[in-house]
Amino acid sequence: MNEQRDNVTDDRLAAKAKTLFDESVDGLDAATVSRLNRNRHEALEAAARGGLNVRWAQWVPATGVLAAAAVVAVLWGREPTVVPMTAPAAASDLEIILEVDDFEMLEELEFYSWIELEEETESHVG
Amino acid sequence: MNAIAGEYAVSCTRGHTTGVRTLQREQELNRFFAEVERRALRIAEIGVRNREDALDLVQDAMIKLAQKYAGKPSDEWAPLFYRILQNGVRDHHRRQAVRRRVMVWFGKGGSDQDDYDIVQAAPDPKGRTPHEQLETGEAMVDLEAAIAALPTRQREAFMLRTFEGLDVRDTATAMGVTQGSVKTHYSRAVHALRDALGEHWK
Repeated sequence: MNEQRDNVTDDRLAAKAKTLFDESVDGLDAATVSRLNRNRHEALEAAARGGLNVRWAQWVPATGVLAAAAVVAVLWGREPTVVPMTAPAAASDLEIILEVDDFEMLEELEFYSWIELEEETESHVG
Repeated sequence: MNAIAGEYAVSCTRGHTTGVRTLQREQELNRFFAEVERRALRIAEIGVRNREDALDLVQDAMIKLAQKYAGKPSDEWAPLFYRILQNGVRDHHRRQAVRRRVMVWFGKGGSDQDDYDIVQAAPDPKGRTPHEQLETGEAMVDLEAAIAALPTRQREAFMLRTFEGLDVRDTATAMGVTQGSVKTHYSRAVHALRDALGEHWK
């Protein structure tokens, strides 16, 4: 009996959530809808070209150099300050790390290069 | 001579047919994206709590689907598209976690999420009185905050099932888990939301 009542309540909650969500979708402002439209056409063009996403590609060299420079500058200049991470943040990180990897990040070579550089620098320092 | 001309004609016809098929596929993809993009944006936005990042994630998901899975039957596009999008959201959270550690290293514990104004970001429903707008807006703000506080898998299961209307099988494909797992995550999500949102939602 309780289970049946719970199911009805759950269905009502889902229906109300769906209604609110749909209203928020319908209420998206014109500028955002226009951005979505433009992004869609750019995405289709980029996919047809089969190339890298232009938005990311143009920043890869600059951000790589900046990241490397920042790491070197920090390691050169000061000792690390150890601040204990709060429990919720640590739990949230743990949840993310324990999830099954989907290899999406393999595409982000810049990110991996940065981690590798950081590890190498740490081993030299340590 | 006639044979060569015949082969050339057949080749041209094949090329034309392939071109027409590619164009048709592109138009189908365009229609599919146009149909899902607004809901996808809001789902991503609730996941990352930032509209600009959500816009980028939706566009990246479109590019990847078009590049890798355009040849799949169109009824498989929705779960594949949301799988790519959810992967993007998870990668975003991983990057945020790394950034948090770097900020801690610099002695600054700040987080981008602290700057996210959920009221500011909530879209204005059209054609409503200010009072109705306020009520609806507040309810959506409460709902978004409660969903954002759910564990990742529960959040994904709830949004894909409830907001996008995917069935259990497609949700399982989108999340990369079993159908049983989807049911468990969804059930836990609804119970957690019921507890978080209180009496008005029961």
